[in-house]
Amino acid sequence: MRNVHETVDGPIAGYNDRQRQILRGELVGLIAFTVMALVGVIVISVWQGETRATEGFRAEYEYNYAGVQKVNFLQYLTSKNITPTQISPEAAAAYGVWAGANPKTKNVQVLTKYLGAKYEDTAAIFGYMSQYVTTGLGQSCEYCHNLADFSSDEKPTKLNARNMFVMMFEVQNKWVESIPRPEGQVIYQLQCASCHNGVAKFWNKDLKAKSQESFGVAGGGMPYDYTFADERFLGSLPDADGRVNYFQVIADRTTPPGLNDTARNQNAMYHMNTALGVGCDFCHYGGYFRSYSLPDGTYKYPKAQARHMLGMLQDLTVNWLPQLPPLDANSVAAPDQAVAPNCYMCHRGYVVPPGDIAPTEPIQKVAAPLLAPLQDIPIPISVLPKP
Amino acid sequence: MEAEALYPEGIERRAKKSFHIRALQGFGDTQIGPIYLGIWGLLAIGSFAITVLMIFIGYGLQVGWNPIRFMREFAVLGVEPPAPSYGLQFAPLAQGGFWQIATLFLTLTLVFWTIRIWSRATANGVRPLLPIAFGAALFLFSAIYIIHPISMGSWNEAPGHGLRAQLVWANNFSIKYGNFYYNPFHMVSIFGLLGSTVLLAMHGATILATVQYQSHRELDEIEDSTEGTHRAQLIWRWIMGFNATPHSIHVWALGLATLAAVAGGIGVITSGPAEPNWYLWACRAGITPGGIAACVPLP
Repeated sequence: MRNVHETVDGPIAGYNDRQRQILRGELVGLIAFTVMALVGVIVISVWQGETRATEGFRAEYEYNYAGVQKVNFLQYLTSKNITPTQISPEAAAAYGVWAGANPKTKNVQVLTKYLGAKYEDTAAIFGYMSQYVTTGLGQSCEYCHNLADFSSDEKPTKLNARNMFVMMFEVQNKWVESIPRPEGQVIYQLQCASCHNGVAKFWNKDLKAKSQESFGVAGGGMPYDYTFADERFLGSLPDADGRVNYFQVIADRTTPPGLNDTARNQNAMYHMNTALGVGCDFCHYGGYFRSYSLPDGTYKYPKAQARHMLGMLQDLTVNWLPQLPPLDANSVAAPDQAVAPNCYMCHRGYVVPPGDIAPTEPIQKVAAPLLAPLQDIPIPISVLPKP
Repeated sequence: MEAEALYPEGIERRAKKSFHIRALQGFGDTQIGPIYLGIWGLLAIGSFAITVLMIFIGYGLQVGWNPIRFMREFAVLGVEPPAPSYGLQFAPLAQGGFWQIATLFLTLTLVFWTIRIWSRATANGVRPLLPIAFGAALFLFSAIYIIHPISMGSWNEAPGHGLRAQLVWANNFSIKYGNFYYNPFHMVSIFGLLGSTVLLAMHGATILATVQYQSHRELDEIEDSTEGTHRAQLIWRWIMGFNATPHSIHVWALGLATLAAVAGGIGVITSGPAEPNWYLWACRAGITPGGIAACVPLP
C-alpha cells in the first residue's frame, strides 16, 4: 500500500538552477507584457479619447428634451478644414452697382412667396444670400448670377437653386415642422447648408474615395455614400392607419424566413449610428428594439423622429431628386448605383444637422409651389404618449 | 477486456515513432504522438479539406484572388448562405452554393470525427462518454446549421462561414427573435457555460493545491480516498458547506458542459416554430423589467 502521507513535490521542485532562472524570466516577461498592454490601452484611450468623443458613437440614454446641442455651422466647417466662403470682391462690387440701380428686386419667384414681402428689397435678398447661400454652398454670387444682371436666369445653376429653394421650403413645411417631438423642443429650419454643408457638388468621387479610405474596404459604404433606399424601402408606404414598417426585422408568426431582412436593417442602423454620432440607446430600448418606450414608460421620441425622417428620405428620393439636375461626370453615380440621400448627408455625425439654422422667420405655406412633388408620400403617424 | 484481446502485444503495438517537445514540460507531458489516423480520421480530414477549399474559394472570389487583400480583409470575409428566395433548394455556387457544399462537408467532418473518437474509445477499452460529450456539441452545431434552417424553410437562417459572419449571425439572430437573452433555454445554456467554467477552475485549483497530498492520483483517490481528497473536500465544506467526491466532480463537469450545448441547441430549435419573439414570451412570463404590469406595449 502506498504511503499517502509521503508528500510528493511537483515538477517545479525538481528544477535545477538554470531551469528556475528560465521560469523566473518567463514570469517576469508575463508580468511585463501585461503591464505594457495595460499602459498601451490607457495611452491610446487618452490620446484618442477626445477624437472618439467628438466623432465616435455616443449612447445617449437620457434624451435631452430641452433640445440637443447644436453645433455652430462655421465651427463645423473649420473642424473639416473647410474655409467658409466669402463673397468675392468682384461680386461685392457688382452688387453695389446693381443695388444702387435696383433697390427693389426683379425676378424673385420663391423667397418672397415663402418668406414674405420683406424680400422684395434688394438689400434684404443680399443679406439672405450672403448669410446662408454663400457659406452653405461654398460659392460666391457669380456661381449662379450674371454679375451684370443679377435677375438674369441665364445660368443653369440659378435655375437649379430656385428649384432647390422650393424643395427646401416644401420639405420644411411638410416634414420638419411635423416632426414628433416633446413639448418645448426646438424645430430647426433647413438651409442650403443642411445638405450641402459648404460644398456645392457634394456627391462627388472625392467623397467616395474618402469613404473607402476611412473604412479600408472597397465599397465600405458608410457613411458617405451608404444607401438603404432600395426598391423595397421606397415602396414601403404608410397604410390607411398611417403605420409603416420600413424594416421588417423582429419576428412574428408572419415574418418570412431568413436573416437577410435583419441584416438589411442592421446595416441601416449602423449607418444611423455613424450619421448621427449616437449609440443604439439613443433611439431604442435595448431590451426590445421594436419598442417605442422604456419599461418605466418613458417614450423614446428619437425613434419616432427617426421613422419620420425615413419618410422624409423617401419623399426626397422619390419626389424631389428626379426633378433636380442630373449629376455630372465627377459624381459617384455609377450605372448600377442609385444616388439617394442618407442620414449622413445632413447630420454629418451630429443629432442636429450643423447646416440647420435656429428658427428665425416663419415659412409660409404656398398653395401652388413652383415645383410640385411627383406623388404624395403620406406622413407616418406616430402613436405618441398622452400628455 | 476487448482492448487486450485485440492487442495482445499492447495497445500501441502498431504505434509509429513519437517525439518529445521539452517546451511542453509546463503542460505536463512532453510526448507528441503517435496520432492515430484510421479510416474515420482519413474521411474527416478529406471532408474538412473540401470544407476549407469551398470557403477559401468563396473568399478568393470576394477579394479578386488578391493575396494582400485576402490577408488584410480575412476577418471580414464570409461565405454566406443562399438568399431566402432559394428556400431549401440548391443555389448557384456564387449565390450560396459554396456555403451549402462547405456546410455539408463540415457536418460530415464532425460526424466522422465523432465516430473516430468512438472507435478510439472502444479500442482503448474505455466507456464512450467522450463521443457522447462531443455529440452534445454536434447537436448544437446541427441545431444551428441544419435543424433550425430546415424547420424555417430557409438556409438563410444559418450563419455564414467567416469570423465576421459568425458575429453578425449571433447579433441578427438575437434581434430577429426578440432578444435572445430572454430565451429560457439560452439562460440555461449560459448557466451551463459559466458553471462549467467555474467548476473547472475550482477543480483544477483544488487538485493543484493538494498535489503534495497526492490528490492528483485520481483513479486511486476514487477507489480509496485518502488525505489529499479529504483535505480538498474539507476546503469546500468550510467554504460552501458541501463537497463533491473524486468521481462526482467529473460527473458535474460533464453534465454542466453538455448542458450548455444541449440547452443552447434546444433554444435555437424552438426559436421561430415554438416562439418567434422571446421578449414577448418573457413579458407574458413576467420576467421582464417591471414584471407583467410594465410589459412594453406592442407598437
